[in-house]
Amino acid sequence: MSLVAAFLVPGSPLPLLRPEVPVWAGLVAAHAQAAAALAEARPDVLILYSTQWLAVLDELWQTRPRVQGVHVDENWYEFGDLPFDLRVDTELAQACIEATPALGVRSKGVDYDGFPIDTGTIVASSFLDPAHRYPVVIAANNLYHDWQRTEALGALAAAQAARLGRRYAVIGIGGLSGTLFRHEIEPASDHIASTADDALNQQLLARLAAGDAPALRAFVADYAASARADMGMKHLAFVLGALGEAYRGATTLGYGPAYGSGAAVVRFTL
Amino acid sequence: MATGKILAGFLAPHPPHLVYGENPPQNEPRSRGGWEPLRWAYERARQSIERLKPDVLLVHSPHWVTQVGHHFLGVPHLSGKSVDPIFPNLFRYNFDLTVDVELAEACCEEARAAGLVGKMMRNPKFRVDYGTITTLHMIRPQWDIPVVGLSANNSPYYLNMEDGLGEMATLGAATRRAIERSGRRAVLLASNTLCHWHFHEEPAIPEDMSREHPQSYDGYLWDMRIIELLRQGRTREVFELLPDFIREAFAEVKSGAFTWMFSAMGYPEMPGELHGYGTVIGTGNAVMEWDLTRVA
Ligand SMILES: [Fe+2]
Repeated sequence: MSLVAAFLVPGSPLPLLRPEVPVWAGLVAAHAQAAAALAEARPDVLILYSTQWLAVLDELWQTRPRVQGVHVDENWYEFGDLPFDLRVDTELAQACIEATPALGVRSKGVDYDGFPIDTGTIVASSFLDPAHRYPVVIAANNLYHDWQRTEALGALAAAQAARLGRRYAVIGIGGLSGTLFRHEIEPASDHIASTADDALNQQLLARLAAGDAPALRAFVADYAASARADMGMKHLAFVLGALGEAYRGATTLGYGPAYGSGAAVVRFTL
Repeated sequence: MATGKILAGFLAPHPPHLVYGENPPQNEPRSRGGWEPLRWAYERARQSIERLKPDVLLVHSPHWVTQVGHHFLGVPHLSGKSVDPIFPNLFRYNFDLTVDVELAEACCEEARAAGLVGKMMRNPKFRVDYGTITTLHMIRPQWDIPVVGLSANNSPYYLNMEDGLGEMATLGAATRRAIERSGRRAVLLASNTLCHWHFHEEPAIPEDMSREHPQSYDGYLWDMRIIELLRQGRTREVFELLPDFIREAFAEVKSGAFTWMFSAMGYPEMPGELHGYGTVIGTGNAVMEWDLTRVA
């Protein structure tokens, strides 16, 4: 097994852009813990799946060897810019593209100057790999893919990484409960939008810790609807698919609000 | 200062394929044409803009999605490269636009006064979305008229369609008041596709028109029904049918631009002029004009 680390991270730019806000500081510290754990795991590549990179036609994989620039989020532009500089493991990305037809999924590589890298990918890589040490593979969230298909894609990416002899880390980027405040709030007053959402998020984190994959899947099916979970928690599906039999539990490194929605940094036990 | 007014409104959809088919210097990829009937429809709309000579173009785009309120471009000058995340092979466009910040601020203030959350986008590095750019390019490729760009708050999807579109109607009325007090002669652009059922795979040659057709016959019938009513000026009926049209044809007008524009114009029961209709990757697109100077 060459899977060396796996995480769920929120992808909200708020803690990254405003780390001094006390209510977001816990998430910042949790990302730092995750980054340290990742460094210890010495990965060759980070496999990223972000709910915020939306695809509609094919499954998309970033194949430009180096993508760099400055991104401005379409919602949170007032909090600052998001510079990024990512190196792509194009060999692994290409292998994934060639492998997906076996799942009945057509894939395409994306190799264009100026292609809009999504906020979640940038936030996660900035937090977890601030020194740009590890190459990445980035997979899109195709809106027509369901939980099962997303799990299968996660498994496929992991299998290809293993086949190429990589030490790989898998990172699912997305939120928990999805209810955002629809009016402006003072960042310092941020909190989970409702006690019901908060309770559901806590239950999800407890299920993640328990390490029972079938029970977790069954719970998420309900949780996704009742908590308006980010994209039906497909970022979790991708990670679970990649973990496969290796899933046996997880630790929540941090949990808190992101403008009312739920955000957590979770490290999977390997 | 004379009272400002809305000269005209256009249904002005934004498939990036139309820019790709035209091969303007700002767009990197090259094509052998394609989607000519829709591009010719836009040629006619361009002539109307030339005749109307508006001071400002206001565009509401479904591809600047905001969650906390309705946002307005608020930087005097914006430039950069806009790459369509779904069709990066077709649309990599170097844009350079001037914003009518004064009018944008007035729109934002009026929206707030009407009880909506309004926000000014002040980040100079902001990358304008491809919907806004495609619509603006297709209607006025010279880029010599200042613009006001409005985001699409996700309320029709997030709350429910009726309440969300209600917000868009409020936004439209607020936009009208802002235009009137600004003294501007304005044109409104609703950047919306009609039936939005689309193919799931792109043809190997995207501009191969032997492959272009409506994705859904039911969707096509819906488009014809709506266009026919609009051509007859039966606006009230269109808005009565709108929720069913959106549900059954997956129509992009759900994002609010169409409602925003008609509310701003006061839902005129006047015949719209159809400049043309065509499908793009299976979706239905009409370029239509409501010239309010004809009734004044
Ligand atoms: Fe669109």
